[in-house]
Amino acid sequence: MLKMTHLSKVYRTEVVETYALRDFNIDVKEGEFVAVTGPSGSGKTTFLTIAGLLETFTGGEYHLDGIEVSQLNDNARSKIRNEKIGFIFQAFNLIPDLNVFDNVEVPLRYRGMKAPERKERIMGALDRVGLASRAKHYPAELSGGQQQRVAIARALAGSPRLLLADEPTGNLDTQMARGVLELLEEIHREGATIVMVTHDPELAARAQRNVHIIDGQVVDLAEDPRFHTAYTAAAGQIRS
Amino acid sequence: MMQIKPILSALRRHKAGTVLIALQIALTLAIVCNALYIIHERLAHIAEPTGVDEPNLFAMANLWGEQYTKQQAAAKIEQDLITLRQLPSVADATPTNGYPLRGGGWDNFITMKPDQVDKTTDAAVYAGDEHFLRTFGLKLIAGRDFNADEVRDMGLREAVTPPVTIVSKTLADRLYPKGDALGKSFYSMSSTPITIIGIVDTLHRQDVSTWSAPYKGQSLIWPLRLAQPMGVFYVVRAKPGQLADAMREAPKALYAENRMRMFPAKDGLVDYRQIRQEAFERDRGMAILMGVICVVLLAITAAGIIGLTSFWVGQRRRQIGVRRALGATHRDILHYFLTENLLISVGGVAIGTVLAFALNLWLKQNFALESLPLIYVLSGMVILILLGQGAVFAPALRASRVPPIEATRPA
Ligand SMILES: Nc1ncnc2c1ncn2[C@@H]1O[C@H](COP(=O)(O)OP(=O)(O)OP(=O)(O)O)[C@@H](O)[C@H]1O
Ligand SMILES: [Mg+2]
Repeated sequence: MLKMTHLSKVYRTEVVETYALRDFNIDVKEGEFVAVTGPSGSGKTTFLTIAGLLETFTGGEYHLDGIEVSQLNDNARSKIRNEKIGFIFQAFNLIPDLNVFDNVEVPLRYRGMKAPERKERIMGALDRVGLASRAKHYPAELSGGQQQRVAIARALAGSPRLLLADEPTGNLDTQMARGVLELLEEIHREGATIVMVTHDPELAARAQRNVHIIDGQVVDLAEDPRFHTAYTAAAGQIRS
Repeated sequence: MMQIKPILSALRRHKAGTVLIALQIALTLAIVCNALYIIHERLAHIAEPTGVDEPNLFAMANLWGEQYTKQQAAAKIEQDLITLRQLPSVADATPTNGYPLRGGGWDNFITMKPDQVDKTTDAAVYAGDEHFLRTFGLKLIAGRDFNADEVRDMGLREAVTPPVTIVSKTLADRLYPKGDALGKSFYSMSSTPITIIGIVDTLHRQDVSTWSAPYKGQSLIWPLRLAQPMGVFYVVRAKPGQLADAMREAPKALYAENRMRMFPAKDGLVDYRQIRQEAFERDRGMAILMGVICVVLLAITAAGIIGLTSFWVGQRRRQIGVRRALGATHRDILHYFLTENLLISVGGVAIGTVLAFALNLWLKQNFALESLPLIYVLSGMVILILLGQGAVFAPALRASRVPPIEATRPA
């Protein structure tokens, strides 16, 4: 589903070059639920934005659903984002000017879907996240957990094959975080591929597979327990 | 187009800016379409034909340095005309009380019966001899010219009503709409019936001000020769291509004949280029002023739209990024802002149309403007909508270039 080989991403500013990812290799199979962990600044978000075609990369190869994406133009990338990928951001990223219904509708409109089908999907998605009754509310009128559920509904409504979540529970308390995770697990059971970045080892443990990124590279913790210690220490710092 | 509903609901969350721009568009439309109509009216006024041979004509205002009796004045004027007509560059000359576009001039009430209280209409009155038609180059379309023996001298403060007249076609048709004016008569502030012996195609009034607009082109010529020491104009028609020569020779010849005279600085010696220039100075000024107002208003409105949209684009960078992340293409974002502007503009021009007609009503009541034709409002709408789309394009293009990664930047 998602395969990166020797991928690199360099951020260049006038003074420095930062290798956010270097010789980055990962292979996520269709239907997998992968949790990505790693210390702050290690490149998790960078990986996810490249995976989600929000950004280009500097070197290497990236095959998404069998397509090598570096050759695609902006329109083709928009279309793939729209049809195959669902995003869940840490900061929810709902559009404040639109109510819940209209927010969930955004990707469906870009898909050119007809109104009755849009409505059915929106209400279906809102139903699943338990917010059908809040369709006319504006994001500012909802709690953080509710907003994140709307964001999930927005990602769900288009039935994406790949769901990318960057610390979806980072701004939520434990209980709400658990609710969000249960939703993701449910979506996963229905066949979606999920890649979730998290700082929370407890959440990570519930995924099928854990991928650890350190200094822009995927590291196999099982093979190198030293990193595990380093990682948990870092994660602990962040949470405190 | 498919985004209209969510755009409208988003606009509802930005009422102040939306209403402000819509009202600005409305006011601009109201003023611009009325201004355009005023410009049109003024230009049409300026372009009105006089019916005279403008390229070859000039006029001289003659002031004598001595007091003359009626007989003396008649003799002096006759002598001047003989002198003028003898000049090699001159085709003909006529003494008159005025000429088209001079401004002011004689103006008489016209009635169809001698005892009629309310006037039927109003006509500009020219006093002219048997050279009048030929000198001005007027086109006689019915009847005949004056005979020399029909022309009477008219002294200062004398009231003479000649029994015959030549009228402009406009006046003839006004008095006798069936087109049978020739040989018919009317009255003009006396009990003497005046018979129409000739009709000329076009003869513009002397007056150019707006009050006379309803009487446009209604003129009559009486066979009168002013025998007065002042208020007489010599209108001279030069031979084709010899206007400059004639204008140089004529004053010289008249001075040579009698030094006790002067040609005043204003109107002393003017050709039709100057006559037009002076006659329509205010109209041209008004047209230019209205044009400047239009340009300034349109510029301010465009600037307002650019400013507000730029502000909105800056404010919405993150949500534009989110839209891009969710699958919007560059084009979708561009369309979003163009459509948003279109919706505001449509609201603005709708209000503006009402305002335009209200403003026109007020102008009609206060400044004798005609009813605003719909085409001006329609053109104004098109101009403003295009202006809006043009103004919004640059900021919209900037919006469309916001990268999808913007969605992940911390708020
Ligand atoms: N736009 C950018 N320009 C320059 N450097 C960047 C940019 N974005 C990320 N980086 C750098 O790339 C590296 C990886 O950043 P990234 O955001 O992927 O880390 P992360 O693992 O998501 O961290 P966190 O856990 O804090 O979210 C960091 O060193 C960061 O400073
Ligand atoms: Mg991150």
